Amino acid sequence: MMMRKIQLPFTQTQKVRYERAIERLQSLSSTVNSDASVIVTDTIPVNHEDAFLKGHGTSEVDGELLATVCGVVERVDKLVYVRTLRARYKPEVGDIVVGRVIEVAQKRWRVELNFTQDGVLMLSSMNMPDGSQRRRTSVDELNMRNIFVEHDVVCAEVRSIQHDGSLQLHARSQKYGKLEKGQLLKVDPYLVKRSKHHFHYIESLGIDLIIGCNGFIWVGEHVEVRDPVMMIDGQKDDEMISSSSSTKEQSHTPLETRQNICRIGNAIRVLSNLGFTVTVQVITETVNLSNSKNVDIHEMLCSEFHVLVAENEAERRREKRKK
Amino acid sequence: MVACSVGEQHFLKGGIAQELRTDGRKRLTYRHTYVETGVIPQANGSARVRIGGTDVIASVKAEIGRPSSLQPDKGKVAVFIDCSPTAEPTFGGRGGEELSSELALALQRCLLGGKSGAGAGINLSSLLIKEGRVCWDLYIDGLVISSDGNLLDALSAAIKAALTNTALPKVQVSAEVADDEQPEIDISDEEYQQFDTSSVPIIVTLTKVGEHYIVDATEEEESQMSLAVSISVNRAGHICGLTKRGGSGLDQSVILDMISVAKHVSETLMNKLDSKISAAEACEDES
Repeated sequence: MMMRKIQLPFTQTQKVRYERAIERLQSLSSTVNSDASVIVTDTIPVNHEDAFLKGHGTSEVDGELLATVCGVVERVDKLVYVRTLRARYKPEVGDIVVGRVIEVAQKRWRVELNFTQDGVLMLSSMNMPDGSQRRRTSVDELNMRNIFVEHDVVCAEVRSIQHDGSLQLHARSQKYGKLEKGQLLKVDPYLVKRSKHHFHYIESLGIDLIIGCNGFIWVGEHVEVRDPVMMIDGQKDDEMISSSSSTKEQSHTPLETRQNICRIGNAIRVLSNLGFTVTVQVITETVNLSNSKNVDIHEMLCSEFHVLVAENEAERRREKRKK
Repeated sequence: MVACSVGEQHFLKGGIAQELRTDGRKRLTYRHTYVETGVIPQANGSARVRIGGTDVIASVKAEIGRPSSLQPDKGKVAVFIDCSPTAEPTFGGRGGEELSSELALALQRCLLGGKSGAGAGINLSSLLIKEGRVCWDLYIDGLVISSDGNLLDALSAAIKAALTNTALPKVQVSAEVADDEQPEIDISDEEYQQFDTSSVPIIVTLTKVGEHYIVDATEEEESQMSLAVSISVNRAGHICGLTKRGGSGLDQSVILDMISVAKHVSETLMNKLDSKISAAEACEDES
């Protein structure tokens, strides 16, 4: 198994400890697929008597099948291809993604998603702010900037992938939409695995964590999902407006919440540096580790903590295997 | 240029006001800094400095030259900075030129002092080999590989590290020579002489975001800045240069306040940097 070279200055003891932790991780990882990872110009073993199809990232040179990219060899029936690591995001329908609006165009927003093209969020595939269902008029189109403006961070779902490769998004739920009061982190998309839940509300810390499948991760202050039924009630609508204006005035996040946001943010940075899969369990474990070891928030980014996390992860996987 | 939504801007500024920035730092804390020396074997001295996501390389190349007629008792130093398009796509083509020349000018001012050569961080007289005839020309080249804010501080640290790493060969000049002829020189392959860098300053940039000023701003923070003051301080705590960027004005008392803060910050930074440079040098000798 390959491990990318980590760009951190270790002292001699840290280096030894880190290497031992990585060795243990490698011995724990399933041996079935261990020879499947290739680097450029590696030979991919194929049975030449059977017919096979050359897929992405492969090339035939002098009768041998060679890898042209780094990654993992995948075989589907006759097709042999290399699934690249560290590439751009490959969308699948139903993925929850976090992106940044880069353009407000006719009836649509263009969203940066670390995909080969920009994602398209149509005005018609958004719920109206007041929750009503109707055709969008030209007035709605003129008021698009009331919903999202350029640079806004939004959360949406992949609706479909068009034949020309462009990506359609939709945000037909209250949980999707604009994200505020927090920070956006970017990790390599392969570090995020698709799972049932991508929205996490860490109640003990009061934090919302959205792990987008495209490797964009949002860590922010928790916001209650507003019920659209409440908005229809005129009286409550006024209340909403007054409360929202008052929250705008005290835009400062409480210090404790902010500390939690920063701690989670740094935990994700550490995991991304180490090349570990980013899931909510691993993140909370890393946060707990930093708390129990009394590591200062900024000190989480130093080499010593990286080694600690690597050792912890090896230990965690060993325990998991035992069970 | 990084994009930042209104919500993120509020969050960022609020964090600075509360002394807890997005990566958990205080206002006057630097990111983790890594120094590597001797990265370019062809150069006389080189260093790579990483401050968080900012990554720069500096190299020092020495050539035998002739002193200028105005200053026959001094060597020459030139600073060039290049912003690689790998750092940001907009640096491609001529996009990075403006920033490159701005950085080079700021560094030149801080390192070389005034036109007369007074107040120079590099002792230009030590570069002289024979008065009016032969001297060393130092070409200091900086390359920005990846940019995450605070380029000037990173470059100054890299230049200091590269100069510490620099070894100039000993030069023998034949004594008797006619007045209008260039003397014969003999460059030694074995004997080298270390460069004295104790007086080379480092730059501390204070970036004002909202009401407060911070050191070592990331790119996101820099996108929200109103102004930035770069102060170069040497080991003795003397101010060697000062440059300001950004449109908005500053009160005189704030500048003085900033200078004293920069002095204080530079002291710890200089000590840290020195120990990191010597560790990097030791590491290089080993391998």
